[in-house]
Parts: sequence; C-alpha cells; structure tokens
Amino acid sequence: MTEIHRFGNIVSPITCHAWNKDRTQIALSPNNHEVHIYHRSGSEWKLLDTLNQHDLRVMGIDWAPNTNRIVTCAADRNAYVWTQDKENKWKPTLVLLRINRAATCVKWSPLENKFAVGSGARLISVCYFESENDWWVSKHIKKPIRSTVTCLDWHPNNVLLAAGSTDFKVRVFSAYIKDIEKTPEATPWGSKMPLGQLMVEFVNSEGGGGWVHSVSFCPDGNKVCWVAHDSSINMADATAGSVVHKLRTEYLPFLSCTWINNKSVIAAGHSCIPIMYSVDGNGQPIFVAKLDASQKKESGGLSAMRMFHSLDKQARVETSDTNLDSIHQNAITCLCIHSGTREKVLKISTSGADGQLVIWDLNTLERSIQNMRID
Amino acid sequence: MILLDINNRVVEETLTVKIKNSQTGLKNESIDITVADFDGVLYHISNVNGDKSKIRTSISLKFYKQLQEHGADELLRREYGSHLITPEPGYNVSVLLDLEDIPQDWQGFVKKLGLLKRNCFASVFEKYFDFQEKGDEGQKRAVIPYRDDETLYVEAKADRVTVVFSTRFRNEDDVILGKVFMQELKEGLRASHTAPPVLFSHREPPMELQNTDAKVDNNVGYVTFVLFPRHTSKATRDNTINLIHMFRHYLHYHIKCSKAYIQSRMRAKTSDFLKVLNRARPEKATDKKTMSGRVFVRRD
Amino acid sequence: MSATLKPYLTAVRHTLTAAMCLDNFSSQVVERHNKPEVEVRCSKELLLTPVVISRNEKEKVLIESSVNSIRISIAVKQADEIEKILCKKFMRFMMMRAENFIVLRRKPMEGYDISFLITNFHTEQMYKHKLVDFVIHFMEEIDKEISEMKLAVNARARIVSEEFLKRF
Repeated sequence: MTEIHRFGNIVSPITCHAWNKDRTQIALSPNNHEVHIYHRSGSEWKLLDTLNQHDLRVMGIDWAPNTNRIVTCAADRNAYVWTQDKENKWKPTLVLLRINRAATCVKWSPLENKFAVGSGARLISVCYFESENDWWVSKHIKKPIRSTVTCLDWHPNNVLLAAGSTDFKVRVFSAYIKDIEKTPEATPWGSKMPLGQLMVEFVNSEGGGGWVHSVSFCPDGNKVCWVAHDSSINMADATAGSVVHKLRTEYLPFLSCTWINNKSVIAAGHSCIPIMYSVDGNGQPIFVAKLDASQKKESGGLSAMRMFHSLDKQARVETSDTNLDSIHQNAITCLCIHSGTREKVLKISTSGADGQLVIWDLNTLERSIQNMRID
Repeated sequence: MILLDINNRVVEETLTVKIKNSQTGLKNESIDITVADFDGVLYHISNVNGDKSKIRTSISLKFYKQLQEHGADELLRREYGSHLITPEPGYNVSVLLDLEDIPQDWQGFVKKLGLLKRNCFASVFEKYFDFQEKGDEGQKRAVIPYRDDETLYVEAKADRVTVVFSTRFRNEDDVILGKVFMQELKEGLRASHTAPPVLFSHREPPMELQNTDAKVDNNVGYVTFVLFPRHTSKATRDNTINLIHMFRHYLHYHIKCSKAYIQSRMRAKTSDFLKVLNRARPEKATDKKTMSGRVFVRRD
Repeated sequence: MSATLKPYLTAVRHTLTAAMCLDNFSSQVVERHNKPEVEVRCSKELLLTPVVISRNEKEKVLIESSVNSIRISIAVKQADEIEKILCKKFMRFMMMRAENFIVLRRKPMEGYDISFLITNFHTEQMYKHKLVDFVIHFMEEIDKEISEMKLAVNARARIVSEEFLKRF
C-alpha cells in the first residue's frame, strides 16, 4: 500500500522531484547540480537521462504534464526549460531570469504557458515565452517582498500566485502577463489584477517569526494553506474575509503541504511523517491522522562481524536506536500529487533528505488507519 | 619508578664494561663519551693523552665555583683521594681510572664515580649540617644557582637547617599542577613523623629570603625544607642529602608524568567521542569487489 | 545522575531537537554563496532568538539557531584551578582535531569553553537524533572525565609526596 523507492546508488538527499504526465518517469535532483530522469519498469528504475547544465545545487523542478516540458532552477541563479528532441534527449533553453541570487523554487502555471521562479534576490520572476525573440523572458514582482521567496503556488485561474518567504509572510500576487493572455475575471481575492498587484498579505504570526516553507491553493482557488517554521499549519479563505486560522502543532516544522481535495491538506517535514489535516466549518485546520503508522522495527540478529564493526567504529554493540520509527529517516522536503485530480487526489509522493521516494495510496490508508476520513 | 636514581647509570655501566673487558684480557679500546645529567651537568669519559688504559671521567657543573666556596674540593678529595687529577680543560673535576691498576673494590669505586654529581652537591649540605651541629649561627646563607633561573639556598640555625629551592614552572598550567603536588607535600607530614616539614610559597619568596634578590613572579615557586638534627646527624645526613638534592627533579618529573597521563586520557576520550559521533553517520554501503572485479552484494 | 543534571539535559535535548530543523539556504547577500547564517549574521530575519539553558551560574549551554545552521556553545563546570586547566587543555586538544569532529567549531564563543557548529550539510548526511545524542553524551561525559582526571592527579601527588617523605 505504501511503496518505497530508492534510485540506484543514491544515498544523498533528494532535493525535489517531479512526475511526468502518466507517472512513468520522474525527474529528481540528488542534492547536487544534476537532474536525473528515471523511467519506471515494474519495481525497477532505469536512468534515462541526466540534465547537466546547472553548476550549483538544483533547488526546484517542475514538469508540465501536457506540453511535456521540464523547468529547473538552481542556486547558480539560472533556470532552464528542457524540451525533448526527436531522439528523446532533453535539451535546455536558458531563461532570462534577471536575478543575482539563488533561484529557490519554480512552478508551471496551470495552463503551462508561463512559470514563476522565486529567488533569494527577494523577488519573483514570472516567465513566459516571447515568440518574436524565440526566448523565455521574465517580468519581476518585487514589492513588498523583504526576504528570500521560499515557495510558490498558482491559483487555478492561471493568474494569481501565492508566495511564501522568509520575511514571515504569505502574499497573493497577480502574475497577469498582458502580452500573452486575456484580462482575467474577478475572483474572491479581488478584481483588479495588473502584474505585481498585491491581492492580500498574510502575516504568519502576530508575534513575528516563522519562515514560510510551503504554500498551496486549494483546488477551487478560494482557500490558501501554508506551513511555517513555528510548526504551524495555517489556512485562510478569501470567501470568508481572508481571516487566518492557525494551528500550532506538536510536531517539528513542516516543509511541504498540498491540498488533496477542497477540505483536506497533507503536510510533511522535519518530523519525517506526512500528516493529514482538514478544515472544519469555521475554517480552522484540525488534525486528522498520521499517514505513517510504522512501528519500531525489530532489529534482526546481529552478526559477529557487525557487532565488532560497530564496537570498533561506534563504541557500542547495539544499534537499534539508529533508525527512526518512521518510513522516512530524515526530513521530508518535497511532497507531490502522484495520481488523481487536484479535486480528488488518490496518491501522493514524498521525497526527503534520506534519499527515499515514498508513494502513499490515500484510499488504502483511509481503510487501514483509524479516524482517517477523506471527504 | 617513583623515586629517581641519584647515581648516573650511563657512567657506571660504561666504566663497568671497561673494567670487565680489561679483566678478561680484551684489548682496551679508546673511549670518548659525553653524558648529560640533571641541572645541565655534563660528564665526559675519555682517554688521557690517547692512552687507552687511562680513563678519565670529568664533570662540568655551571655552578661549581659556588660549590667550591662550600668545600667541594675537600669533600671530593675525601671521596676520591688519589684518583683526582688536574681537571680536564672545560670541566671542573676529573677522576682517573687506570685499567692497569684497577682498585680492589672496583665496584665501589665505579659506584662512587656514578655519584660524582651528588658528591659535588653534598659539600654544601655537609658544611651547613656541621654548622648546625656546632650551633654556629653566624654563617651567611649559601646560594647555589643550580640552574638558570633556579636557586638553592641553605642556611643553618642552632636547631635546624633550612633548605629553600626556588623553582620555575614553564607555564601557568605547570604552576597549578605544581601547587597540587606541593599541597600534598605540606600535608605529607601526616604520612611520616620523621619527615621534615615542608613549606611552599608561590610567587613570593619565604620570609627568610625577603629583601634578597630572590625572584618574584608568577611562574616561580619556593619550597622550604626545615631539617632538624634528626635529619642532619652523621648517621642520617647522607640519606637526607640524597633525597634533598634530587627533590627538584623529583617534583618536575612527576608533574611531567601527570601531564603525560592527562594527555593520554584526553586522547582516549577524544577518540571515544569521535566514535559516538560516528553513530550519527549512516553506514555507507560500500561495493565489495570480488577477485574477478565483479561487485559482491551482501544479502542479509 | 544528580537531581539537577537530568532535567538540565532533558531541556537541552528538546531544545536541540527543535533547533536542529535546518534547511538548505543560499545567501541572499552574496551571490552564489551558501554560508552558515548563524555565523555570517547578515540577514536578521534568518536568525532565531538565542536560548541559554543553565544548570547553575557556571554550567550553561547557549543555543543559537538560524535557517541553515545552529551553533551550540557549552560552558563546562570548573570548580577550581585544576579543573580549569584540565578543561582548557581538553578543549584545546579537541579543537585541534576539529576536522575529525566536523561539527566542532575551531574557536569557542566568548564566555564558553567549546562550541559546535552544525549546518544543513551535516543534517543531510547524518542522523539528526544521533547528533543530538552526541551533544548530550559530550555534556555528560566531559564533567565526569574532568573530575576523574583531577582525582588521578591528586592521587599521584599524594603518593609521590608520601613516598618522598617516608624516606627521611
């Protein structure tokens, strides 16, 4: 019911991952400047291609399902759009981000005609293809971002963009590019949407503090959810006055969150387990269930060689407390929708600093875990 | 080896070998050895005028002049008698061993040569012990600069002889370790009722030496032994001299030992800490290659 | 374990577990740099409020954290002169081997005897909970080790002086 995957000899962390449309291929970065494309056949993964263009750690990958383009961004301040040629080799096109600090995150818009890149330059580059010049160009959203942009998510209307940053704020901007799209219709977030318009700004906590790690629009686009370093999960509904409802959890900070339908969110992070929350009638997030119910593994018998090895290297005989009780052994840094639709997600995938990719089947989990109800 | 030897073994053994070889009729070889001892003392064992049967043992002490003032020459004459010869240039005392005329009690003689340095020192103690016995209080204090920066003071009163060492610690840490040792020495009287009282002062010289040129600074310490007649009597004085004149080395030797011990403990503990830190490192699955170069995969 | 040591270590353990949630973070001040923010201290918003946990006036731990790194400084108990020099010697000995220890800082923070610097690169490669265990183990052992060394020195001094004085 829960699939665990490892890729070749990679023991280093998986920085982030992204799926192709039919989920047969995955693009991931093994915590360095490369992006690896793996193809799945049965339980084996075959390395198809290595995208080797960045020269510093890759920070974000997104795979546009319909147009089959991959966008990557890295700490070297660059982003590339990758397209497949006739031999199915991936070819990069440089994007003119016009930033002078690390790019931290990237997301295709729902219509796949533009994407947004967050950066340490305290701005967001909204990028689109300029056909006259045959070139990806960008427009900047600067104000009033005061620190590194850590996460982004697009509203389903292809115009609004939510951004979280280390200045403890979540903001919804308009990323309307008038050169390539029609004037957008009004949403509960507002009606006037020139590029860079700040629709709403949420302060993560009244007392200040809490770097925002991840932000997500719900499928109907009316609610936004974010997780921050104060171990909180927060929700705000534009149709209910954009009041922030905050739940401070007992867990370590979450790093990633996503809506799995209009009522429920799954968040994961430093506690190494994905946790499901749902929104109650008042808009308040409430705990539903932990998706990982792993028990402490019984450590098998210790071979003599292993015992001496451990005694020599670590000055102890038993090693039972080395592994955590969870499936992931280190922080979960990336959480993606694997199958289903945004309105009804069936499976999610998580990857983390332990180098594992785990696919969680929500339906079977719902049946096996007490109190877990997905509406 | 808690107590240090007062004799010089290298000198003793070298001479013993020489005498034994000569006694078994082996041909005498030429010899030229320089041996170092505590307090910057140098021994030189060589042949006189290239004559392989005449072995001269010379000693140089930087402070021999001061010792001479206290009758070192007389004491050495008493000990070595006719074996004393004109000192070799650059040395203070020379003793001759003639392999063609080996003394009857050569073992005793060699032992005595090994004690050459001790005997040089002994003069000053014997002299003041005598003063005390006679109740002669008028003598001025003896000052022996036995090392650079370190001085020995001996003073006689009618009822006691005070011996003060000034000793220099190399750094702050040694001062503190030294203090621990001195503290224990001060309390050591409980262990033995016959022991002389020991006083210790750090930085400042003791009362007796105030207003002299005795050094005052942070790395200097003064150790005072108060020797009573029971220590200075003819019967016990040799033993007292043996102990007292080695005291400074005894103290520093054990400070060094303590430091070595601390160092070895730190090393062990540090490697222990490293092992505990290793627990945080995941075991790397390393590929094991078979002879043919194929990868060996463990199945466990 | 004495009555105050356990709660002290427990408080340190929980604080470290919470503080050691580190992420990769590129410098927003210098291009193409990725440095421990707790050391560079260029962007105020990336630093958390430092925490001091103290058992008493002399024994305390300073935990400073930031978005991608955490600095732990420990003040070790030193009751007297001899413990002071033993502690100084020991810390210097360890810091000279900082490259083996990787998480050890070469210089302690002022007012503390030893500092550790743990970055996201360490937490990516190592088990975080075992790193916390290491710091706690270190704090437990260091006191013990120093007092044992002190006892050993004292014992030697006693035997040495008794042996010497006995001969008179």
